[in-house]
Amino acid sequence: MFTDKIELKDIDKMDPEYRDLLGRVLTIQADCEIGGPHLYVEKMLPAAPTKLDQLIVARTAAEEIDHFRKVARVAGDMGVDVSFVLSQPNEKRFVDTFRGLITTWEDNSVFGFLIDRVGRYQLEEFYDCSYLPLQRILPDIVTEELGHIEYGYNKTAELLTKGDEQKDRVQKAVDYWYVRALDMFGRSGSKRAERYRYWGLKRRTNEQAREDYIKEVDPILLSMGIKVPDPLKGRRYI
Amino acid sequence: MPQAAPDSEKLDEHLLEVVRALHGAVKQGVSHTSDPKVMDKAIEDCKEILDVIMKGEVKEWLN
Repeated sequence: MFTDKIELKDIDKMDPEYRDLLGRVLTIQADCEIGGPHLYVEKMLPAAPTKLDQLIVARTAAEEIDHFRKVARVAGDMGVDVSFVLSQPNEKRFVDTFRGLITTWEDNSVFGFLIDRVGRYQLEEFYDCSYLPLQRILPDIVTEELGHIEYGYNKTAELLTKGDEQKDRVQKAVDYWYVRALDMFGRSGSKRAERYRYWGLKRRTNEQAREDYIKEVDPILLSMGIKVPDPLKGRRYI
Repeated sequence: MPQAAPDSEKLDEHLLEVVRALHGAVKQGVSHTSDPKVMDKAIEDCKEILDVIMKGEVKEWLN
């Protein structure tokens, strides 16, 4: 296992595999950061239930754009240009979850609650990672992601108080996003994930991170009166 | 030191301005929750800024 800590000035001396994996993970992270606003800004900014919610949608998008900026700068400084993800259509996003459009407030709320939480997990993978410029941008990004998760949770809980029909719509949204959230962790036994761990770029295997997520999320869903969806049904990456 | 990606710094500066403008508009709106006109204007400003970012015409931003 690689245990050194690397600064930008050292990057040219690093093994090509390290540079490739770091460039790859930064590109995917940048794509996921900007992929969120591309899912919800178009329909949710005009359609959020109150003017305050509309402004919070805009603020969330601003924060995600800023996360993109920070990740893009870390990548750019080491010579990796990730700007192409700013103009790529949703169907070309690296992660399936971001290929589409959010068109309902239930989906928007559950997305924050479940998918931004996966975002937090992905960022936590870089805690104490071997590349220090990446490690340094994490605290502020994670703090803002926690705000998105809390807002998503609160809005989901609020919707659940509005009768059975609304509860059914929330359950449908959870059924849709839950399996996508689990897929976001990638394949169990992934060889690439092992190389990320070898180089100190990630902490957990895909299956460990997914298991931790399930242990965190399932009790929250149950406490809200939401049924936990079948964790295997509709999954693409087991 | 490695060679930075072209326009990396320029893009960073541009997006930072965008983020600041968005936060400014949001702040204006949320601090006037009793004035729907101010809130509507803030939402409109956010929409205008976000529409440009969602279009993703990076070369235009940097020229």
